[in-house]
Amino acid sequence: MMNTTTLRSLAELSDAQIADAARATGEPAWLVEQREAAWRHFAASPPPEWRRTDLAKLKAETLRPSTGASHTAVQWDEALAGTGVVFTTLAAAVREHEPLVRQYLGTAVDPLTHKFAALHAAVWQDGVFLYVPKNVAIELPLHAVITIGSAGQLAAAHNLIILERGASVTFVEEFASPDLDGQALALPATELFLGEGSSLKYVTLQTWGANVYQLGAQRAIVGRDASLEWAAINLGGNVQHTEAETALQGDGAHVDWVAATFGANEQVLLTAPWLRHIGAKTEGHMDFKTVVKDSAYATFDGMIKIEHDSKATVSRLEEHALHLTPKARSDSIPGLKIDTNDVARAGHASTSGEVDEEQLFYMRSRGISRTDAINMIVMGFFEPVLDRIPSEELRERVGSLIEAKI
Amino acid sequence: MLNSELVIKDLHVNIEDKQILKGVNLTVKPGSIHAIMGPNGSGKSTLAYTIAGHPGYTVTGGEIWYKGENILELEADERAKLGLFLAFQYPVAIPGVTVANFLRAAINAHRAEEGKDPKTTAIPMAQFRKDIREQMAQLGIDEAFARRYLNEGFSGGEKKRIEILQMAMLKPSMAVMDETDSGLDIDALRVVSQGVNALAETNPEMGVLVITHYQRLLNYIKPQFVSVMMDGRVVREGGPELALELEEKGYDFIREEVAQA
Repeated sequence: MMNTTTLRSLAELSDAQIADAARATGEPAWLVEQREAAWRHFAASPPPEWRRTDLAKLKAETLRPSTGASHTAVQWDEALAGTGVVFTTLAAAVREHEPLVRQYLGTAVDPLTHKFAALHAAVWQDGVFLYVPKNVAIELPLHAVITIGSAGQLAAAHNLIILERGASVTFVEEFASPDLDGQALALPATELFLGEGSSLKYVTLQTWGANVYQLGAQRAIVGRDASLEWAAINLGGNVQHTEAETALQGDGAHVDWVAATFGANEQVLLTAPWLRHIGAKTEGHMDFKTVVKDSAYATFDGMIKIEHDSKATVSRLEEHALHLTPKARSDSIPGLKIDTNDVARAGHASTSGEVDEEQLFYMRSRGISRTDAINMIVMGFFEPVLDRIPSEELRERVGSLIEAKI
Repeated sequence: MLNSELVIKDLHVNIEDKQILKGVNLTVKPGSIHAIMGPNGSGKSTLAYTIAGHPGYTVTGGEIWYKGENILELEADERAKLGLFLAFQYPVAIPGVTVANFLRAAINAHRAEEGKDPKTTAIPMAQFRKDIREQMAQLGIDEAFARRYLNEGFSGGEKKRIEILQMAMLKPSMAVMDETDSGLDIDALRVVSQGVNALAETNPEMGVLVITHYQRLLNYIKPQFVSVMMDGRVVREGGPELALELEEKGYDFIREEVAQA
């Protein structure tokens, strides 16, 4: 079911028009109200004061929200539907699984965090809904591809992932577009809910083309004894500002979180990952890798927060940056806030610098050219992240994207 | 056939502003094992790194000739492709790059030819797997090492075996072994030496320059020629008996002779 209503550009849009468009697609009243409220918040909020994300060149008011979830591709074996698994567009889920959507939507990612989060909540259309029932384990990865077709669009994809108790699945979300000849804005949000003892492998891959701005949010709420493996790969776009959070809410919750960011040319890529330890005996490992070249600028703005009731916590943060050219820059702003006096282990390691000359010499002494050696060092640097990509085909595709950037 | 002697003439090398090599003259013949002995700080390792082309060593005078080229004009990778190999005293870890992938890249770099698609000159996968398996077995290296990241978390002995594995796979015509015995216990020393000897046997044209502080290694890898370095120069040359004499009397007697001369 495609919606034929065309939303106007942001400059001309109003809450009434958004509500009309939503009603036209048969959305329930609660969702229409959510959108209207979010729009009013957007309209009333000043632009966010981000020190490291420069939106001065973004002409948001000329952009037009995409409609009808037309940029979402859902890839899976439909035979799995027999197990009770639901994997469909979020727009379709609103119609077919309304109680579940209503229960979870917007409860992990707060729609009112900042102006653009509110804009997302007001105009989202694209995105997927994945529901895995109790104790159902799915071997093959489920894959969603979110695209932007042309300049001038605003694509607000919302992915809502729910794992019931004991469920297990691999979910790959891919944000991709060709290089565009004018600006486009991606406002993706992904909410992940891991029920007790469930296990999720989550791969998020950002390969937007030139001229795409991404302002994204991702948040996982990890229940008791549940386990999350999160791999984020950020390669594309002109500007990326992604706020991500894992909340280890249940006792014994666990996250293994890796990320690879590669900025080239004039790219400005920021990732702000927060790891919150809430339950007892929670364990978190973060390993974030950044490579920059040309005049690119990448920021790791992370925080580990160990809450008052979290006991016997284990937390480890590694973040490393590699500079391939002298003009490239990276900033690392790691934070640690501990509100409990019962931490089992907490550690942090950080490095930043150019390619190691001793490594280069060692490789060249074996006949490998300087270019090939740098290539191998960068690929090796990202290897712990690439290793998490569940399909060979996708791994090779990402590998060649990275190699092309080097 | 180009002359495959390694000829070092009046080599002067600085590290930053400090002169380390003060006129080294040395010839390593193809098919020979040539030991360089000397006390710490005599410039042995500087010589090894300079032959291999380390960018941190500044050559202020002299020449190094190999196969008709003054290799000082070549980059490190070009020297390797000419057939030179350095077994490192401190092999470097390359995180995320497996032993197998590293070796395959090195072999393919050697096989690459100007103007040809690297895909057509690359070693066939089956051939590579067979070769590496055989060589690992010979050196007593567990096959699991092929999938481990190069030198990451390896013990001293494991690193040295992997150096010899690389040498066996790349089949250099001139190998420089920099203090390969350092940090090895007697069992590891035996395995590593056997590896080098086996290689020298199957490649009778290969020259080997063995750099060591101690005579011990030379009980296992038997040199035909021994040169002694002191204070940045080769001060004595002789046969295997020179190594035994050094073992017996220490470096002091040569130091005194040099001082008197």
